[in-house]
Amino acid sequence: MGNEIEIEEKKVPFNRTPQAIEAERMLRRIKDDFQDNPAAMDYFYDLYEQVYCKGQSLHEKEKIVGTMCVQVPEELIYAAGGVPVRLCNGFYTDDQVGAEFMPAKSCSLVKATLGMLDKRSTLPFVDKIENIILPATCDQKRKAGSMIGEMGYEVYNMEVPPVKESEEARLYWRRSVHNFAVSLKGITGKKITKASLKEALAKVAAAQKAYRTLHNLRKESPSIFLGKDAFMVTNAYFFDKIENWTAAVNKLNAELEQRIEEKITAAQRRAPRILFTGSPAIFPNLKLPVLTEESGGVIVADETCSSNRMLYDMVAVDEYNTENMVASIADNYLKPCTCPIFTKNDDRIRKLINMAKDFAVDGVVYQSFSGCQVYQMEHSSIAKALKAEGVPMLFVESDYSPDDMGQLSTRIEAFIESLKAKRRRKR
Amino acid sequence: MSCFAGIDIGSTAIKIALIDEDKNIIATKVTSTGSHFRKNSIEALHGLLSENGLAIDDLAYMVSTGYGRKLLKEADESVSEITANAIGALEAGRKYGEIRTIINIGGQDTKAIQIDDSGTVTNFAMNDKCAAGTGKFLDVTARNLEIELEELGDYHFNLKTAPLPINSTCVVFAESEIIGLLADGHGKEEIVAGIHYSIAKRTIRLAKRIGLEGLVYFDGGPALNKGLVASMEDELGQKLVIPEFPQLTTALGASVLACEAYLDEMETA
Repeated sequence: MGNEIEIEEKKVPFNRTPQAIEAERMLRRIKDDFQDNPAAMDYFYDLYEQVYCKGQSLHEKEKIVGTMCVQVPEELIYAAGGVPVRLCNGFYTDDQVGAEFMPAKSCSLVKATLGMLDKRSTLPFVDKIENIILPATCDQKRKAGSMIGEMGYEVYNMEVPPVKESEEARLYWRRSVHNFAVSLKGITGKKITKASLKEALAKVAAAQKAYRTLHNLRKESPSIFLGKDAFMVTNAYFFDKIENWTAAVNKLNAELEQRIEEKITAAQRRAPRILFTGSPAIFPNLKLPVLTEESGGVIVADETCSSNRMLYDMVAVDEYNTENMVASIADNYLKPCTCPIFTKNDDRIRKLINMAKDFAVDGVVYQSFSGCQVYQMEHSSIAKALKAEGVPMLFVESDYSPDDMGQLSTRIEAFIESLKAKRRRKR
Repeated sequence: MSCFAGIDIGSTAIKIALIDEDKNIIATKVTSTGSHFRKNSIEALHGLLSENGLAIDDLAYMVSTGYGRKLLKEADESVSEITANAIGALEAGRKYGEIRTIINIGGQDTKAIQIDDSGTVTNFAMNDKCAAGTGKFLDVTARNLEIELEELGDYHFNLKTAPLPINSTCVVFAESEIIGLLADGHGKEEIVAGIHYSIAKRTIRLAKRIGLEGLVYFDGGPALNKGLVASMEDELGQKLVIPEFPQLTTALGASVLACEAYLDEMETA
């Protein structure tokens, strides 16, 4: 008796943990290496500092429901009295932990998400999460589900059809969403009612409207807003309180409109305009957008699931009864979605071409995480389609490790230089 | 006399090109990068200037490129090695015909660049963050076989049998594969040729990703290795354009950009 060796566990203060240091480093770079950031961005910078550097929880009383992909209808979670928090993670520290679970050549995002869930840190409120909604999207996320289950989380597998055009797919997905809506009562303890659903729809619609305004403001030339900040804004939607987020974006929009009048620009007049697509930029892995803008380009739009794909398509529902409202929500989460898990995915090509025109884009930067097969496989068809439209594309394969900055910057600078040379030739 | 410098600070070597206002080469220099590449770059530049009876004040404009480009604060501006390589190949390749594709093998990366008639980069591809198929690969091979880097070409052409297939694409694994092959009694010639074909296959595959057009220009230190050049031509099925000084193309491109930037400034001033 009394022979057990007691190991005193040293508690590292949150702000000294490796991931807090990682967060702080990127935050400083985003804030301090650029001049004239809009004042309204302070809300977002502070939010990241609170959450990732200081570990302050944002959701005290609410029932948090973790989500793993954009296909989860968040209106339903709000209507059932929960708060959806998107768990897709961008930390290299967590990627290292997740490498214990996943094969070596797998996607950084999935590894980092698993690492975060295993440690139950990084996001200060992740330790309060019991339920995780996992749509059956790509192979890696799908198969990660059982490992997440083994960590002690309650995983709800939401089936997603692999093809989205057919009527069968639509009906299949409708049933999947319907079952999810019914099952939510078991998760949050509250049933979805017509009134609660209407309220949730309005709440999300207000956020999406704010996003759309911001999105359209980025059409301005010369550019008045940088892509690194745009990613910070949309990324905050993953975990922020939705009402606060919407108010902050509206405030930012007002400031940007003011900046247009005062002719305060965020980039040089001839800075090449970049459309960003592919694997999502998620804080703090914003190295590619930041490098692009440090090299003299400006990201004016994006087609990724951490930003545009998550917020652009509004769920406009005018059905009368709850059942039909849910069916309508389902359609809106399937049809416009340009996730590369779908076969075929011509919508993504069309969307990129349209965006390239609408935003007067000079070139496209396509990020693919090493090990993300679906984005890697789609890149050549997209490059070909863009080439036919005269839009050059740079394909960059990268992961969360911070050690490839040198090689990435060579590629990005060369791409920006070639876009500038192309413009000069046109003149 | 005004002169212009292009300085290419690579992972293995520092390359300097000095040109005059008519873009004629005054002098060039290749020196090893070492660990103090900023100090080494400056010393090499000063040495080159004085050897040619020039003072630092004669240097009107300097453009840096390569991995160390940003850290050389003495340069007037920096440009990525891809842009510099394109301009250099256009300049050095003019006497051979219309260059549209450039293959560059450096100490730690491999690039394929497509250019238009003005030297503007229209497309490019680079190896991922892995030294497979780069100059480092040749370095390791030579070291394992206990031969000089410069001898690789001779060994290649002394081959009496077929080149050995080398399967590992990773430098580290290739090293153990080479040791295994030596232990099995294979000759150095077979191994050298095998390595050359292995690099050639990888490089041509990379180049095919961007589409091969027109004359193909091959530069970077490894282009001095005739065995590698022969393997590449074999894989490609066409002759390559090898410039007189393959290591200096990128530095030359940077010096041309320095000269043009200077003339632009004079015009607007």
